[in-house]
Amino acid sequence: MSASAKEIEQLIGKEYKQGFVTELEADTFPPGLDEGVIYKLWKIKNEPEFMLEYRLKAFRHWQTMKSPEWAFVKFEPIDYQAVSYYSAPKRKEDGPKSLDEIDPQILEAYKKLGIPLDEQERLAGVAVDAVFDSVSVATTFKSKLKEAGVIFCPISEALREYPELVQQYLGSVVPTGDNFFAALNSAVFTDGSFVYIPKGVRCPMELSTYFRINAANTGQFERTLIIADEGSHVSYLEGCTAPMRDENQLHAAVVELIALDNAEIKYSTVQNWYPGDKDGKGGIYNFVTKRADCRGENSKVSWTQVETGSAITWKYPSCVLTGNNSIGEFYSVALTNNYQQADTGTKMIHIGKNTRSTIISKGISAGHAQNTYRGLVKVLKGAENARNYTQCDSLLVGDKCGAHTFPYVEVKQPSAQVEHEATTSKISEDQLFFCQQRGLSAEDAVSMIVNGFCKEVFKELPMEFAVEAQALLGLSLEGSVG
Amino acid sequence: MSSVIASRYPAEYSKIEATLPGGSQPWLRLLRAEALKQFSGRGFPSLREEEWRYTNVSGIEKNLFEPRLEPSVHQVDKDWLENYRLADCWQIVLVDGYYSAELSNLEGLPENVTVKSMSKLLEADAGQIEAYFGQAVGIDEHNFVAFNTAWFTDGAFIRIPTKTALDKPMQLLHIVTDPNRLATTRNLVIVESIAQAQLVETYVGTDQSYLSASVTEVFVEQNAELTLYKVQCESEKAYHYGGTYVKQSRDSRFSHHNFAFGGMLARSDIHVDLGHASECNLNGLYLGIKRQHLDNHTRINHLEPHGISREVYKGVLDGRARGVFQGRVVVAEDAQKTDSEMNNSNLLLSNDAEADTKPQLEIYADDVKCAHGVTVGQLDEKSVFYLQSRCVDEETARNMLTFAFANEMVFRITHKSLHDLVLAEVLKRFPQQGITQDWL
Repeated sequence: MSASAKEIEQLIGKEYKQGFVTELEADTFPPGLDEGVIYKLWKIKNEPEFMLEYRLKAFRHWQTMKSPEWAFVKFEPIDYQAVSYYSAPKRKEDGPKSLDEIDPQILEAYKKLGIPLDEQERLAGVAVDAVFDSVSVATTFKSKLKEAGVIFCPISEALREYPELVQQYLGSVVPTGDNFFAALNSAVFTDGSFVYIPKGVRCPMELSTYFRINAANTGQFERTLIIADEGSHVSYLEGCTAPMRDENQLHAAVVELIALDNAEIKYSTVQNWYPGDKDGKGGIYNFVTKRADCRGENSKVSWTQVETGSAITWKYPSCVLTGNNSIGEFYSVALTNNYQQADTGTKMIHIGKNTRSTIISKGISAGHAQNTYRGLVKVLKGAENARNYTQCDSLLVGDKCGAHTFPYVEVKQPSAQVEHEATTSKISEDQLFFCQQRGLSAEDAVSMIVNGFCKEVFKELPMEFAVEAQALLGLSLEGSVG
Repeated sequence: MSSVIASRYPAEYSKIEATLPGGSQPWLRLLRAEALKQFSGRGFPSLREEEWRYTNVSGIEKNLFEPRLEPSVHQVDKDWLENYRLADCWQIVLVDGYYSAELSNLEGLPENVTVKSMSKLLEADAGQIEAYFGQAVGIDEHNFVAFNTAWFTDGAFIRIPTKTALDKPMQLLHIVTDPNRLATTRNLVIVESIAQAQLVETYVGTDQSYLSASVTEVFVEQNAELTLYKVQCESEKAYHYGGTYVKQSRDSRFSHHNFAFGGMLARSDIHVDLGHASECNLNGLYLGIKRQHLDNHTRINHLEPHGISREVYKGVLDGRARGVFQGRVVVAEDAQKTDSEMNNSNLLLSNDAEADTKPQLEIYADDVKCAHGVTVGQLDEKSVFYLQSRCVDEETARNMLTFAFANEMVFRITHKSLHDLVLAEVLKRFPQQGITQDWL
């Protein structure tokens, strides 16, 4: 962890480095959304019959819904008819069958992002599914995974090859009408990742998806579905970037996790969508629904997120603890700077007996940003001996920002034990003074303290992500320190 | 979004309009008209409103509670009332929403202290009221405030002049005597600079279903100090709404002790606006049994620098009771050096009890110290074991610990007769009261 100070110092002063645009020929739908668009989407993606019904049902429901207003974020109403719902890098014939066939420009773009797809096979590391605008462009390490029986592929491929599996689980955690953005996603999602870990298998490597919005005026609606069958284990990483554009772009994803008996899913996110410039112009609207269902006994789901990007983040990775003895965890660092707004947190719904959940949330607010933790811990009547521990700490850097904490605790079971603690403070003068007295500059000291503040969460991240997260933190704090 | 069921109350308004006080005051007429209009639109707050999401007041619409059209005290059972009169206190008694000079006792009150009926003062010297009315809370707060503004029949006006310290507390005794009665009072309390006072609001009623909806606006001026106790012992069938809205000026101190014991559905709102370097303490205890629903809603606005706030609320819930705590601390952009702590703990004693709690921090200033903590759970098993190892049987051990949990809020009361009254109410609600009393 000692990498922090120097690296961060180097990073401070850098612009959003993922802000390049890749010039690609792309198939893009004209802006607008109606049943025709959904039909076209369904057709173009060559999906099974039930999907059309599924999408239309979601779309019809979505039309009756209103954009939610309860979150602590402000933005101009979005014109959903001005968004293009499909943009795919143009393919030759049937699309790439191996890495060699992928448009070298895309590969170049991913290289800039630090995911050298073609090097993956040499590095004994992470299997990557990369989603570019709306479609998955490459999945590495497929063969090796297949040996273990793990299915890891774009969801559109899964829909064609394992339709029954998808049909069984899709929408079973986040129903089509769950909320405004989830309904929209269900209607128009274009791609995403599908993971199935068979019984008793410990996934031999970490799985990873990289999302990138490239084309202008498009929304990205990806859908991730992860199923961990009995006794299996998987660790999944997700990263996101987008080019710098003046207008706001919409990203409305849905992630569903299902853990059966004794299964464990670890889901880590480093979200670094373009946050907009210093004056709050542009940036991604990140409206995401993430939910895990710990369906089986003794199952476990752990969410770890580092949120540094996006103009607006609206995201509550949740755990429904249905199975007895199941465990839900949520570790989050949300950093907002300039005019970023984040309203994020989690929901832990305790249904089964002896269910346990832990929530550690660290919010850092700088510049003119607003950072909100919003969480729900709900213990239903049957959840005997349920246990929750929540800790939310906020750190304020600068006097124009805001940090808010809105936890909800609802308990209907007397044997449950629920604890919630929250603190808000600024970096203490004493700590700063101590560091400076030891010869650190003020900026180094702030970086160090902020990293220390987030340590509890970073230690939950897989190694390579932890380094990236630390670096990102420094980068996002740029201009607010000193 | 389903449409809100229109309230039945506005239709009744014309029947009582002429009897309401302050009709000669254009400003009040205007305010009442606005409040009525707002109330007619949406009726009582619904579960869809964020601040009301745990408290369903639709039962108020099922019964049409009727206000008394003129004051009367014949129906008051004086012996029963004695139970709630505190010794060593001045008393202001409000019967079914009307100030009763006959039942009040203000003997020996310093002459410069003003205690008046709102309706009388509105006729004699409305200017005194106009200067403060609606300054601590507007009708846009929510529709209970609007309802109260439009419907209030009377209330108490209390002014403690500058540099005056009252040597004993003043009790504001709200009683409701009839079934199906609507009692709506509006009170104003002004503690002028460097003055000091203690006030006890007691809400009681005979064993009936009724609605008591009162709003009290409190102004604690520069360097003044006010301690306000609220002891809510409404009937088990009653609906209670009590809003206390406080404005604190520079260097003032305000303490509130809120005891929620009675009512089938009781909601209490305490909102405090803190001025420069002022201090506020909010303490609360809610004991829910049977099917009671007790909602406590607090909001502390730190508007200026150097404010200090401390808040402790405790709940014990048995039977099918539901306890709600919603506490919000807002630190405005300029309110640097704010120091705020909030704590809410709940003890669930039965399988059907429920606790919902929602502590909130909303912070726009950076140089602040704010914290909140919430717990919901059972008694500490180690403590129970400790007592058992000292030869206390398990049941007694649990009762002792439960009592100790609640008593933490009770023993803070310094006034003897008030302490005894509250303690008696607490013990009434404990399952094995005999055992409990033995070791007191």
